[in-house]
Amino acid sequence: MNCQKARVLMSAAVDCELSLKEEQGFLLHLSECKECKDEFEEAKKTKMIIKEKIVQFKAPQTLINSIMELTSLSTVEHEDTILFE
Amino acid sequence: MDKPDPTRHVKTRTKKESLSREERQKQLEFQTEAVVHLNSLYNYALHLTMNPSDAEDLVQETYLKAYRFFNSFERGTNCKAWLFKILKNNYINRFRKNSKEPGKVDYDLIKDFYHSIKDVQNDTSEAESDYFHSLLHEEVYQALQSLPEEFKEVIQLCDIDGFTYEEIANMVESPIGTVRSRLYRGRKLLREQLEGYAKKYGINTDNHQ
Ligand SMILES: [Zn+2]
Repeated sequence: MNCQKARVLMSAAVDCELSLKEEQGFLLHLSECKECKDEFEEAKKTKMIIKEKIVQFKAPQTLINSIMELTSLSTVEHEDTILFE
Repeated sequence: MDKPDPTRHVKTRTKKESLSREERQKQLEFQTEAVVHLNSLYNYALHLTMNPSDAEDLVQETYLKAYRFFNSFERGTNCKAWLFKILKNNYINRFRKNSKEPGKVDYDLIKDFYHSIKDVQNDTSEAESDYFHSLLHEEVYQALQSLPEEFKEVIQLCDIDGFTYEEIANMVESPIGTVRSRLYRGRKLLREQLEGYAKKYGINTDNHQ
């Protein structure tokens, strides 16, 4: 495998989306190519940063309530709702 | 709604009750399958619109549609992916087709969000402490937002929402190979952006103690 091929597989390697065969070829290349190895480490780090630093906001309570209402609109006859607040 | 039919009164009643039991079952299933993804969906909408009230509208519309078409959801597949796709379609219909501009990007509000949570979050970097860890939430967010749409989208779906390449390919309607290369290029671009921030603060990105 050459560098160009390794870079095609880079993201999938980060996300564990390679086939077994691809992974073997990829790892073999990394063991002989420092440049690709470094880039692989950087790519993994970038993914980690995104996961760590991008904060998930909590949906506003008004939105939660309206979704709950929305999905119980059609059950006109039921008073005993299963909503919890 | 129902035609009054006095002769069938009793029968209609029983039918109505069993129907609503069915409806209730659907409702329960919808809540455990779909409503549990409300936060993810809201965040996805927020990333797309960059505007909280547009995001709320989008999420509402999405759930309304999803509930109506819940029968067509293929049981056993990823419901979150299904909802994301509906939301994305709504977003396109609403803001792109009608060439109606989304509401003004509310950077200040987003910054406020980040500031309000920053205090609550304890940033215990259990991993090695390097320049990445000195980055602030809003800097990473801004870097992500600055990427071209096609890169931003796959990074969001992959790294934030944890979808598989197959699911992403389906959502963005492109082959898996395209997803791979967009992720590769997107992460590379993002890294360059982040290194820019790090340099701004005089943090050495090549060699850290
Ligand atoms: Zn190489």
